[in-house]
Amino acid sequence: MENRITSHEAQWHTSVWPLVISVGILFLGPLAFSFHFVYKNPFLTTLALGIGAPLILLSIAGWAKEGVEDVHRYSEGHGIWAMPVFILPEALLFVGFFAAYWYLRFTAPAWPPPGTPEIPHVIPLIMTIILISSSIAIHIAEKRLEEDNYPGFITWLAVTIALGVLFLCLKGYEWSELFHEGFSPSTNMFFTIFFSLTGFHGSHVLVGIGLFLCALIPAFWGKASKPFVTASSIYWHFVDVIWLFVVSQVYFL
Amino acid sequence: MRETGLTAGTEAGFRLKEWIFTTDHKRIAVLYMIGSFAAFLLAGLMAMLMRTELASVGPTLTDNPTNYNVWLYFHGAAMILGYQIPAVTGYFANYYVPLMIGAKDVAFPRLNAMSVWLFWMGIVVALLTFVIPDPPDIMWTGYPPYSIITEGNTAFYTFAVLLIGFSSIAGGVNFLTTIIRMRAPGVTWGKLNMFIWCLMAAFVIQLIFVPILGDAVIMLSMDKYLGTHFFDVAAGGSPLLYENLFWFYSHPAVYVILLPAMGVLFEIVATFSKNRIFNYKGAVYGGVWGTVGLSGVVWVHHLYVSGTAEWLVLIVVFTTLLISVPVGLLFISMVGTLYKGAIDYKTPMLYAAGFLFLFLIGGLTGIPNAMSAIYIHIHGTQWIVAHFHYVMAVSVTSAIIGGTYYLWPKLTGKMYSETLGKLGFSLFFLGVNLTFGPWLYLGYKGMPRRSYDYSQFPEFEPLQRFITYGSYLIFAAALVVLASWIHSLAKGERASANPWGSRSLEWTHTQSPPPPGNFEEPVNLPEDWDPYDYAGNR
Repeated sequence: MENRITSHEAQWHTSVWPLVISVGILFLGPLAFSFHFVYKNPFLTTLALGIGAPLILLSIAGWAKEGVEDVHRYSEGHGIWAMPVFILPEALLFVGFFAAYWYLRFTAPAWPPPGTPEIPHVIPLIMTIILISSSIAIHIAEKRLEEDNYPGFITWLAVTIALGVLFLCLKGYEWSELFHEGFSPSTNMFFTIFFSLTGFHGSHVLVGIGLFLCALIPAFWGKASKPFVTASSIYWHFVDVIWLFVVSQVYFL
Repeated sequence: MRETGLTAGTEAGFRLKEWIFTTDHKRIAVLYMIGSFAAFLLAGLMAMLMRTELASVGPTLTDNPTNYNVWLYFHGAAMILGYQIPAVTGYFANYYVPLMIGAKDVAFPRLNAMSVWLFWMGIVVALLTFVIPDPPDIMWTGYPPYSIITEGNTAFYTFAVLLIGFSSIAGGVNFLTTIIRMRAPGVTWGKLNMFIWCLMAAFVIQLIFVPILGDAVIMLSMDKYLGTHFFDVAAGGSPLLYENLFWFYSHPAVYVILLPAMGVLFEIVATFSKNRIFNYKGAVYGGVWGTVGLSGVVWVHHLYVSGTAEWLVLIVVFTTLLISVPVGLLFISMVGTLYKGAIDYKTPMLYAAGFLFLFLIGGLTGIPNAMSAIYIHIHGTQWIVAHFHYVMAVSVTSAIIGGTYYLWPKLTGKMYSETLGKLGFSLFFLGVNLTFGPWLYLGYKGMPRRSYDYSQFPEFEPLQRFITYGSYLIFAAALVVLASWIHSLAKGERASANPWGSRSLEWTHTQSPPPPGNFEEPVNLPEDWDPYDYAGNR
């Protein structure tokens, strides 16, 4: 064992995925967006998406595989420390949007601006209940993993993911209803705020689901990184708490 | 060991695979270094174009103002986002942090590699400016409403900021975790190198403020391409909102750049004057963290003439003047470290001394800017440009170039030529003062900034031409510096582990350049170890 460590240390560590995922992000982000919205070229847009998305998915899979196999022997539990540090800027992303919201709302002559319909409160209430339940579900999943009860862990993790997906479906339903009634982000300032904040939050739910999938798939092979699961669940609780801020400000205040 | 130069490895020779897929912090540092210096040279070239344009009244190089705007956009955005921030928080941070705290690497090596490649993708986006139709022409500030109504590709600006911003946040998470969790036994909080403290402070600022800039540029592109109304006055939006969000980050950004740059200089000054850090605790708790504490309450001084309420202006005049206290503490600490030191004026020390002069001028010319009554007179003039080039552009460049000379033997295992090093410094120091000294006067006399022509002010032509020649001298200095590094790589002597006689871990506990894993055996320091323990050396 000692020998293995020594020979390991004597080499330059490498991983292909950081470069591959960065190239993927270049295509999926600036290039696809510009081709579609700025240059309005469907062929190049499809090309950029077609290059970017597979590269990113491949990298995430490869990255996660290296992680659970621990080929670099990196997992020293730093993730549990790093996630709260990462949540600080994440929270501030929302704070910036909240600040913009209240600035625009206070400087508006009337709020909500004329032409804004009543948004039904039933769906957001259901969504809140779903998200809180999912936080409880991931907590139970973590407990099962601590007991090394893999079937239990997989079940509760799957429940968490299902609740997250259900949350996004309800969000999609609400949005499509509004679109059908002819409302869009450009309707007025209320809808600018409404779609931005809920959409921005939804993208964070999507990231959380992605993290959980990275934990779920290897679990079928009986592999799991406990620090990774703990860090992902801290992130999920954060997304949950932020939703309470979003829902209270957008729908109820 | 057998390694040589930048291609250090357990087996001699350069292998591309071990570089582009590397997760080693020292190699990632080199990738940051190459990227940021490339951005520096390109952005410098844009400055040469602008200076040549201004050498005479009327069109000189181009008769199309949009060309000038694109140069200006590239110069500003690339110098700040592509050169200074990545150089101090990427290149120096990566090289120093694990070595100074006695760790094998950072907490998340692959995330670290992703940070550097996202930064490179940001550079690629910036370079695409030159080939895409309708390049961004919105300066580095991207103010609406122009950035929304322009034909230029504002999305590229948004994504360049987002890519480099995310890279920076990932770096911040990584390095703060590393410093908190991976210090070797004996490296206690009270004995951290000044650079580590300065860097931690810079990353705390990044983590708090970068997201707000992210919000601003996201809203900008949403307004332009997705039909939202954040900055659209007709629908109740406010361009002033953008200016506030933008400067809420972009003023603290100067401390993100300045603090680690000062950290680099503290290492140089302590090593070359063989002296302890003067007033270490005061510099750390008062200087470094005091700057962080005040950094978030001064941004409104960028908006004195944007319709800010008078009571707010008064408060911000006060907070802005107040921030010179912690920054002054750091300055005094640096000067105090020189006091009664055995100063050795090697090239890095010359750059450190140059910094003290340039930063002093930059700082003093900042005081009138903080006072709203005087500011109204100098707003929008070249005075402001000269001020921030002194305080930030050339001061920090002094730290980055000097810091690179200081690090050079460790980084490459080779010594550089002192003659070439000193020649480069002389040209640099002369060039920046010949450029930005008269520039202050020009601005004070009322020459407006951001103009590609000055037909209304033909009397400025001789001075403008003089400044243009001065700026050519800076470019020549950059080439001499580059030549001295290439010369060293080709012909430099082998460097010993600790050519400067420093007491800091990266010099005392590992060879030049360090092997993979950094230290032959785990670092374990005695109780009385201190990175600035020069008592026995004098």
